[in-house]
Amino acid sequence: MRVRAEQQKTPLHVLQERRRRRFYLMLTLFFVIVQLIWVGIPILMAVMWSLVDPKNPWSFPNMFPPSFSFAQWEYVFKYTNIARALRTSYSIAPLAVLLSFVLSLPTDYIMGRKKIPGKKIFMLVVLLPIIMPGMVVALFLSRVFANFGLSQSFFGLVLAHTLMGMPYMIRVLTTSFQSIPQDVIDAAENLGATTFVKIKDIFLPMIRPGLLAGMIFAFIVSIEEFNLTFIIGTPTFETIPTILFSFMGYNFIRTNASVVALIMMTPNIIMLFVVERFLKSDYLAASLGKM
Amino acid sequence: MKKLCAVVLVLMLAAGMVFAAGAREEAAPTIDLQTATWEEIVETAQAQGQVTFYSWYFPDYFREAAADFERQYGIKVNLVIGDQTANFNKVISEKDRPVGTVDAMIVGGQWVKTTMDLDLFYGPIKDIIPDADQLAPSLWIVQEGVLTHGYLAPFHRNQTGILYDPQRVSNPPQTFAELEAWIDANPKLFGFNDPSRGGSGQSFVHTVIKHTTGGLEKYVGDTEVVPEKVANWDLAWEWFNDRKDKLTFTVSNNDSIIRINDGEMAMTFGWDDNVQDMMNRGNIFTRAQMYIPEMGAAGGGDTMGILKNAPNKAAAAVFIAHITSKEQQIKKFEMLGAYPSRIDIPIEGTLLTEEDRENNALAWFPAPYKDYMIAEFVRNVLMTQ
Repeated sequence: MRVRAEQQKTPLHVLQERRRRRFYLMLTLFFVIVQLIWVGIPILMAVMWSLVDPKNPWSFPNMFPPSFSFAQWEYVFKYTNIARALRTSYSIAPLAVLLSFVLSLPTDYIMGRKKIPGKKIFMLVVLLPIIMPGMVVALFLSRVFANFGLSQSFFGLVLAHTLMGMPYMIRVLTTSFQSIPQDVIDAAENLGATTFVKIKDIFLPMIRPGLLAGMIFAFIVSIEEFNLTFIIGTPTFETIPTILFSFMGYNFIRTNASVVALIMMTPNIIMLFVVERFLKSDYLAASLGKM
Repeated sequence: MKKLCAVVLVLMLAAGMVFAAGAREEAAPTIDLQTATWEEIVETAQAQGQVTFYSWYFPDYFREAAADFERQYGIKVNLVIGDQTANFNKVISEKDRPVGTVDAMIVGGQWVKTTMDLDLFYGPIKDIIPDADQLAPSLWIVQEGVLTHGYLAPFHRNQTGILYDPQRVSNPPQTFAELEAWIDANPKLFGFNDPSRGGSGQSFVHTVIKHTTGGLEKYVGDTEVVPEKVANWDLAWEWFNDRKDKLTFTVSNNDSIIRINDGEMAMTFGWDDNVQDMMNRGNIFTRAQMYIPEMGAAGGGDTMGILKNAPNKAAAAVFIAHITSKEQQIKKFEMLGAYPSRIDIPIEGTLLTEEDRENNALAWFPAPYKDYMIAEFVRNVLMTQ
């Protein structure tokens, strides 16, 4: 009786606010649980497997490793070229991102802003390098690279990684160019904007979110690229995936694979957080050059 | 903006040309390994100055062996521990180039037929390597049913057998009938890998064929599949299909071992060297035990070959001689517990007993039957409901 009386006294908008808060809380909880299951647990498992003590393995029926050690980390750093691979991977990736942006820009603009026949077919063709199995692409391309003297060369590897990153860059930037309102461009032209001013003050700021997304894709693709790197780069160059794959696939060693996966994952996660901060920037503000 | 783009492009092209030019090296000195003395080969190897070797396992041992080799001969070792399939795809992609990038590599049973069919290796090298007579004689001739004619030097011998958790299997089966009974009594606790994805699964299917179709003797010496001899293999496929809901199929040799460690299975077919390596690295409990059952299990070994288009053949030959030397084979055995390829090393403390090896190890049937077995297993067992 008292509760009902209190409810009758509480204004409707306060009750609605409470319900809304409860709903948001449930949504947040759901999100946190899903993230824990899909992201948190695999990372936690990788961390635990990377710390398994070889003398005291993590086995059935133990729910958790009976003891921890850094032996698996020591093994990877002692017996693989991981330090050299890290240097190579993080030298190639930024250059591949830059080159894929520069090389894809004309295509992005034409596909996003101009009406040309066969556009849909072209967009499909652009995706072929990522649709086809990586090893097939690598085997065909290795001959081309060898003929041009690009095998076993750093520039060849940058080109190979650029090739694998470009489909993502083209897809994302084409959509970004498409989404620029024609009114803004027309208004700028009416006010006497030159091509340079349009690029600087309209196109670049408005494609920035797409550009950052494309860069993330191209960067991660480069960091994770295995087949082409292995075929045209080794033995002169080794990247992180060439070491990771030696512990995966046919010869899957869970402990060492976890170490290399964590080494590969950590800089990427940091980069994602950094880029995420840029992406939060206001889209319209960006378009008006107020950033 | 345009200026910036132009500058970046020019710089990258210039850097690329510098790197590309740097990659082209002068041709290494060569010698005819078949006619040269060992001293001449070593001298040429030292003039070549480097050797590139590919494997997909034992990074710990190979790093140590490479360091020893560099100290002893002053020849740099470019060691790549890659993925098995990728290693072979790489050398196959370079097959038609006059000079490749790989000098020598490990060859496993999974790829030996393909590589021999493609004529990838230089040889024969049996008469070049010192102490060749001290390496497993049968492995110089045949590797998992494929005739290798002295082209591939034995690296180590390995053997499949039954791996089990003694806490869950108190009385492991010895005969085929006992295994059938155990599987019936313990559904899903016995498993093996898809034979197209690893040799231990192949070995189990091989053993089932032996017991359901009348032995393996009739295939000896065949160079191609004789249809009359495989006409009753349906019996083997029936055996698998009748127990499909009681068997666990895994995706690789290591996957089988991992599932034993995780408790999903209690018994599987595995390679002794593989199990020992996984044990050394904490990927399976140390209480695991292995034996070769009386019903038989196939064995073999891995080998090393020099690529036909190797840029440093002499250095590759010296590196293979180094790996097969008594000192290195003992070191490998002590580090990993992997059974040496040399026959002049006393063996103690391996997962499998010498008695089991003598009495129960089987030889593979010829390679064409193995290929046929894998294809037919996939078609008749894996692809049926």
